[in-house]
Amino acid sequence: MISKQLNDQITRIGPGSDAGMVLRHYWQPAALIEELDHGDKVPVNLLGERLALVRGANNQLILATRIATIDEPATHYPASKDILIDTLGPTYPVAERKGILFAYLGKQKTPPAFPNFDCFRAPDSHVFAFKGLWQCNWLQALEVGIDPAHASFLHRFLEDENPAEGYGKQFRDKAEGTNMPITQVLREYPRPDITVDETKFGLKITALRHMDHGLTHVRITNQIFPQAICIPMSREMIITQWHVPVDDETCYWYTMFTSFAKPVDKALMRAQRLKEHSLPTYAPLKNRANDYHYNPQEQATQTYTGMGLDINVHDQWAVEGMGRVQDRTQEHLGRSDKAIIRYRRMLRAAIAAAAAGNVSDLPMLGPEAADITGPVSNDAIADTHLWQDISRNADMTRRAHCSWDATV
Amino acid sequence: MNAQNDWRVIATTEQLNVARPVLAVTLDNRPYVLFRDDTGSLGLIGRHCPHRGADLLYGRLEDNGLRCPFHGWHFDRTGQCMEQPAEPEGSKMYTQIKVPMIQVREIGGEIQALISQSEALQ
Repeated sequence: MISKQLNDQITRIGPGSDAGMVLRHYWQPAALIEELDHGDKVPVNLLGERLALVRGANNQLILATRIATIDEPATHYPASKDILIDTLGPTYPVAERKGILFAYLGKQKTPPAFPNFDCFRAPDSHVFAFKGLWQCNWLQALEVGIDPAHASFLHRFLEDENPAEGYGKQFRDKAEGTNMPITQVLREYPRPDITVDETKFGLKITALRHMDHGLTHVRITNQIFPQAICIPMSREMIITQWHVPVDDETCYWYTMFTSFAKPVDKALMRAQRLKEHSLPTYAPLKNRANDYHYNPQEQATQTYTGMGLDINVHDQWAVEGMGRVQDRTQEHLGRSDKAIIRYRRMLRAAIAAAAAGNVSDLPMLGPEAADITGPVSNDAIADTHLWQDISRNADMTRRAHCSWDATV
Repeated sequence: MNAQNDWRVIATTEQLNVARPVLAVTLDNRPYVLFRDDTGSLGLIGRHCPHRGADLLYGRLEDNGLRCPFHGWHFDRTGQCMEQPAEPEGSKMYTQIKVPMIQVREIGGEIQALISQSEALQ
């Protein structure tokens, strides 16, 4: 449990807020590049600010402030011709990376360098980007992604699918070196042994599931400061996902799916996700208003939630069900929440450093950021006494066999 | 009956005559979940899981209680946590975890909750 004051401090993101100040030191996903088809002005609702993508000097994309009424809905998306720019409001620089337009809402003269993460350095052909709306605060959305235990429950399939039909979906692949679908490993071994290490980019989270016959399932995921995660999706792909505040009670996830060996089948990945979302707000079709299509019969026989096979919907239900801003004065964190506790400590340290003007104490804000590679995100099953080597080698092998420079 | 308390009708027996007898109930602006366990007894407990606030209205009705789909924490009809299957073997943390519970009774097809005046005033 934490105090209401602390909960407010680490969740609120409007101009002048503590957590909002930390987020404003980093590039923020602001729109998908495909949104530029909307017209010469594209609405962007970000960090409690009402903005629009427009062309500035030299035809460069920038974010400008747009005139909005105080009661405008969080994800209001006016037609291009209806957007009025507030010429007295702030403007912010924009940079495109792999289909996502990032914006820098901070006050430093020079925005930070982009790290050399896999999602940024892989060729365009190997990265697919998409986004989706969640009706809740950004922090609870992030926290579900740094909680390695929930996958054994929330995403449990009471029966496994055929891994050969799982392209582009989370957890459907076989674990490296076995014939066991990841879904089976997660179901049968629900008490991961979790360790958390601080890194240059944030946190490295190692979840060990000790199995029968002296084997251990090793899942390495990462928290990228301040608000992203990097996790394995399949043997071929990793996911880098940002949780971006629209306002205090609404957020978008922006995901880059990065493929090592083969180019991403973007048409298939996009079609899979468009079927589940409505444009232009990228709101999920299954949502609180329609009970996430909850089916008690399915919950009894097929899935843990009764909300279908799409794990995004499970996560969405988990975080939206907490309320728009989770009341952390009522929470009881356990050992499975180790990474969440470490992350909050990092965020509070960053808030204090930013408030004191010690910007260089925040992760990845110096020039060295451009040299940070990885992070390594991987699933593997190994002989228990060799898990470190086998996990590392499995990742190195796929990096060595890829057409782009994925060395770490 | 204690003069400080009163029984309030919150549902009908009919409403729980379904395959999965779990129902959302709001009392004095606070969210609760009403369910019937394997013995046929009723429980009215806080709707948010005390772990990280997930919504127990969508809980798994099994093992004589309600199980949170987020991490499998299991609650009996008194709101007492009985299991935390993601916590390390041997952990006793669950014994210290309890969801708020309100006493209920079933009379003549009605389900009633015992509302204390102090609760109602909050």
